[in-house]
Amino acid sequence: MTLPAKAFQRWLQGIAPDASTADVCRISGIKRTTLAQQLVRGKVSVSTVVSISRAYNINPVAALADFEPYRELAGPQQPPTRCELVSQISTADLLRAMLARPGMDPAGPPGGEGPVLSPAPHATSVRNWVDAIDDGELRHRVSAATGIAPQNYSAQLSANRLSAGLAVATAVAAGVGLTDGLVATGLVTEEEAGWLPGARQAALDSLSDGDLAVLAGDRLQALGKVLRRQEQDQAQTEKIWENLG
Amino acid sequence: MIETLQWSTLAICGLIAAARVPSAVRGENRSLFYIFALMTAAILLSIEAPYVAIDTALGGVNLANLLLRFIIFAAIYFVGIRVTRGFGAEHGYRLITGRIGLAVLLVVSLLMLGVFFLMDTAGSSAGLGAVSAKDHRHGVLVEYYGAAGRAYPSYVSLVLLPAMVRAAQSRLPVLVRLAAALLAVGGVAIALTLLFPLVPVEWSAGKFIVNYTAVLCFVLGLALIWVARVRSSRNNKPKRTSTET
Repeated sequence: MTLPAKAFQRWLQGIAPDASTADVCRISGIKRTTLAQQLVRGKVSVSTVVSISRAYNINPVAALADFEPYRELAGPQQPPTRCELVSQISTADLLRAMLARPGMDPAGPPGGEGPVLSPAPHATSVRNWVDAIDDGELRHRVSAATGIAPQNYSAQLSANRLSAGLAVATAVAAGVGLTDGLVATGLVTEEEAGWLPGARQAALDSLSDGDLAVLAGDRLQALGKVLRRQEQDQAQTEKIWENLG
Repeated sequence: MIETLQWSTLAICGLIAAARVPSAVRGENRSLFYIFALMTAAILLSIEAPYVAIDTALGGVNLANLLLRFIIFAAIYFVGIRVTRGFGAEHGYRLITGRIGLAVLLVVSLLMLGVFFLMDTAGSSAGLGAVSAKDHRHGVLVEYYGAAGRAYPSYVSLVLLPAMVRAAQSRLPVLVRLAAALLAVGGVAIALTLLFPLVPVEWSAGKFIVNYTAVLCFVLGLALIWVARVRSSRNNKPKRTSTET
């Protein structure tokens, strides 16, 4: 969901009254042509607002809350659930954590501090987040609330993308913290969304060996499916090259 | 307009055949070069002036027309083999190279030869226009002869059609899907030629357009796969495609 240029100009006036567009672009690292184009079209992208607010040391979530479609982002949010936190840990990190568990290798060295988790988002963070908060009817409710066709929604998840508007709508439909989806899509950082430092690590540590093993297994299975499909597509393409290239 | 269409089709096909010479010399997919060369020859023989010149050299009894038919059969046979192999259409491959496919080819060829020698074919004229004008009997025989000549290409293109439609909707590279779509359109066009006897005489321009659409779609479709391969090998050389999950 883009933001109207008028509202954006007003917002920009508020945070940097004297800055020219060129200044704003220089400080925030946005290409001038990109911003100019967005202004001409009257649609400013959400990530533009995020970049500019970061450059002016404003919390991007608070900045977004200044715009009509994102009013609900203002104020404190519910903390992320354990499932959401774990969903934002990459598969590689989950597997490393599993390897360090005694349930995996009773004879191994007693598990000390594992390696530091890589920051969110990861390669399948959007789908994992939606799966973590889905009660089975979530996609239905999102599609009813926003009017997006279910297959388009799925396509975005498969591509590990979700527009900011849909991310918030999904969080609303699931009744979780409204900024959580923005973390999963990588628009804002965990810290900017108000997640406590180390929250993901704590959630991971609180998983029993059995739960972690099942979760890691699920992730591996999903990864295996994606990789196999890619390999099949690749093999088919190679065959076409071989015969017709 | 028809003249332009004919000569430009010839030029396109000839250029592609010429462009394939280096790879044919290197031994890469020679049969593809033969397909383009055969198609070029077929187009050449379907244009009045070169047809008359070649046929006069062959004795002026329209043997060149017979030759043209068998060149088309050979080209479409090789296209069928290559395309079914490349796109993994096992069933289609068997339908072309198996007992049924060869039986169709044999019956059609014998019919065509039989009808050809029933006619008094003296007097070179492309499309046997002059022969068909001799009397009513010749008019009917030329009609049958033409129908037999269109039957085999139609058979092969109908065999290819399902696999092409499937490939066009698949997750293959965009250029390959586009090529499959072109081959499908070409296949439909060739199959439509079966209906020519039902088409009123005034629409002969329509017949030409369908014929050349078919040829152009096949030639461009096959060339596009080649382009896609060249592009992909260029893209892949610097870096292996990442496995995005």
